[in-house]
Amino acid sequence: MFKSPKSIVALTFAVSCAAGLVHAQDYQIGTPATALEIAGWDIDIRPDGKGLPVGSGNAIDGEEAYEMVCASCHGVFGEGEGRWPVLVGGEGTLADERPVKTVGSYWPYASTLFDYIRRAMPFTAPMSLSDQQVYDITAYVLYMNDIIEEDFELSQQNLAQIVMPNEDGFFVDDRPDVQNPRCMSDCADPDKLMMKGSLAGVTPIGHFVEGADAPAASHSGQHDLEASKEAERKAAITGEEPAVAEASEPAAMSAAAIAGESTYKAACGVCHTNGLAGAPKVGDASAWVERLQQGNDLLISHALQGFAGSTGYMPAKGGRADLSDEAVTNAVLFMVESQH
Amino acid sequence: MQDASEHLTTNDRRDFLRRGVSYVAGAAAVGGASIATASGLSANLPPNEPQWGRQLGTGVVENPYGLPSRHESQVVRRTVPWLTAESISSISMSPIQDLKGIITPNGLVFERYHAGVPDINPDEHRLMIHGLVDNPLIFTMEDLMRFPSVSEIKFIECPANGGMEWRGPQMEALQFTHGMLSCCEWTGVPLKVLLDAAGIQTEGKWILAEGADGAHMSRSIPIEKILDDTLVVYAQNGEMLRPEQGYPLRLLNPGWEGNTSIKWLRRIEVGDKPWHHREETSKYTDLMEDGRARRFTYVQECNSVITSPCPENPIRRKGFLEIEGLAWTGRGKIKGVDISFDGGVSWQPAQLKGLVLDKALTRFSLMTQWQGEPWLIQSRAYDDSGYVQPTLAQLREQRGVNSIYHKNSIHTWQVAPTGEVKNVQIT
Repeated sequence: MFKSPKSIVALTFAVSCAAGLVHAQDYQIGTPATALEIAGWDIDIRPDGKGLPVGSGNAIDGEEAYEMVCASCHGVFGEGEGRWPVLVGGEGTLADERPVKTVGSYWPYASTLFDYIRRAMPFTAPMSLSDQQVYDITAYVLYMNDIIEEDFELSQQNLAQIVMPNEDGFFVDDRPDVQNPRCMSDCADPDKLMMKGSLAGVTPIGHFVEGADAPAASHSGQHDLEASKEAERKAAITGEEPAVAEASEPAAMSAAAIAGESTYKAACGVCHTNGLAGAPKVGDASAWVERLQQGNDLLISHALQGFAGSTGYMPAKGGRADLSDEAVTNAVLFMVESQH
Repeated sequence: MQDASEHLTTNDRRDFLRRGVSYVAGAAAVGGASIATASGLSANLPPNEPQWGRQLGTGVVENPYGLPSRHESQVVRRTVPWLTAESISSISMSPIQDLKGIITPNGLVFERYHAGVPDINPDEHRLMIHGLVDNPLIFTMEDLMRFPSVSEIKFIECPANGGMEWRGPQMEALQFTHGMLSCCEWTGVPLKVLLDAAGIQTEGKWILAEGADGAHMSRSIPIEKILDDTLVVYAQNGEMLRPEQGYPLRLLNPGWEGNTSIKWLRRIEVGDKPWHHREETSKYTDLMEDGRARRFTYVQECNSVITSPCPENPIRRKGFLEIEGLAWTGRGKIKGVDISFDGGVSWQPAQLKGLVLDKALTRFSLMTQWQGEPWLIQSRAYDDSGYVQPTLAQLREQRGVNSIYHKNSIHTWQVAPTGEVKNVQIT
């Protein structure tokens, strides 16, 4: 079986080479892409501004949009929440022992910021922002990095002229950069070898080490671990015993709520397990008290149609337009009934 | 051997523990009936007729899509949760400590997502080719599968493989030090054939490849690579791509950092310059000690690691021992691998075994004896470009410790007299 791929490759190579020299092999496969089809998908922006849509925006308008859709992960000041990326600061640290790579300190082109926000942000609802919002948020992130003034109107015409502080900080791959001779004997002085061991207990190795005090092997376990460490840290300061969740018998759930659990895990949990985008965490009673008082109908309506509150932002169906109304409703009931 | 086993009690216990799990599970499967003899040995061992020889097994299509033996349940992908904020934009590692040969089974290929795994209906998936071409085209999956297909065995490696250890060792298992690495037989169409169909214009020097997932992951690729060996693939190891690997369509840039092999591929734009997108500026650039950074660091340079022994595979018996491992290079073929037992002071050549293919995992082997002596065991691969895998000290001297990516240095395992294996670094 391993002979044939080679011969197929050789054959294809021969065919395509011959075709390349004379004329491309015309397989007559594929359909012409129309201008309209291309326009819908051609979202990329280049440093020279090619691809930027018509429009403009500024940091003043961007602040509100940023706080609504970006700040829950990236921090109100771009400082980054948890392990989410830091956007601001770090200038002059790239040669430090612990460099801080941000839009301001590291990114070579402003076009990259517009392109990335448009194609991938916000994390939970990509491609949901208008071009106007992308211009506004791009301007705000540049403003927070002291690259443009607050009232600067960032536009299709001038974005490519923005000079980023680290534009000249890159060079094209020049590897191989090391040459190791293939020495076979007396390659090092055995008396001068220094050995450094692994840090113990930082990776999950319970699967092969008997009794290993392994850290969490999953992200949800990691969050539990961090939460309990945080509780212990606070307890050490206050001198109080860390609060232990009361082991009460879980209340029976409705059939709809039980049906909603799989949707919750597949779709809603991204935000509602960790509190992303200001989402109330399942099991965090204080985050749910007022919401529960509003009644299920309102919660379901917010989940279906989207909601922008003072602490967070939820797109319709959490950005999962593919989910049926029933699936979303059941997932809401699962989350509500999980609070009991 | 009697003497040896006395010295190996720790390992024997672990070995027994591991097997014990199987025995318990086996007992449960037959209704909890005790089948152990008075001596404590399994009644399934000679001279007894084992339980499975005295009853019928399951019939055909019990599992229409087959599963591994339940006794192999420890052979799974794993992650190190603190590496990323959550699991949607994250990475898992292949259990290369448990794999044989050079092919990674589809369910064990390492995962790297920037916005999770999309659920794509292949009937509604399209590949668009446009930009500096004469005829912008859209292909359905059916269209793409009408082109003459090629199948090639190639590795894929994340450039961050090993990247947590620039400053010092901290991963306590091979799966975590080197598991962002897999190798499959991929089936698809050379991208060059598709670009020929669209008629690439002479100014076309770069392409942008883009995914259909929520990250719309994008990378700029120079046209020379496309003309060389870039494929658009729809199958791996004989079946359609797994969702985790880009179903129904992905790019494959053999030997280059894994993220350039865009998954869930939906668009190829031809241009005259690179795009400098987020995943080739903010990420996947290599910060040097002076604060400047390398970009477009595409090639995965020659690398190797010993897979047995390793932390997960300690030496369990004195006497004959086969040292085994994997070597790979993005520049071509592995030419040879040397082994050191003394931390790199002296070396001896290993054998390459099985297939030695271009830009594929290559397995090496060295037969030896172990009598309980402590080892600092290393492998050092070299490829047909003449490049020899470097030491960590050499890489640090050139690059410092903040480049994250492309740490392909010689790796050291410390073998203790007990046979236990630890991850260490030698300087």
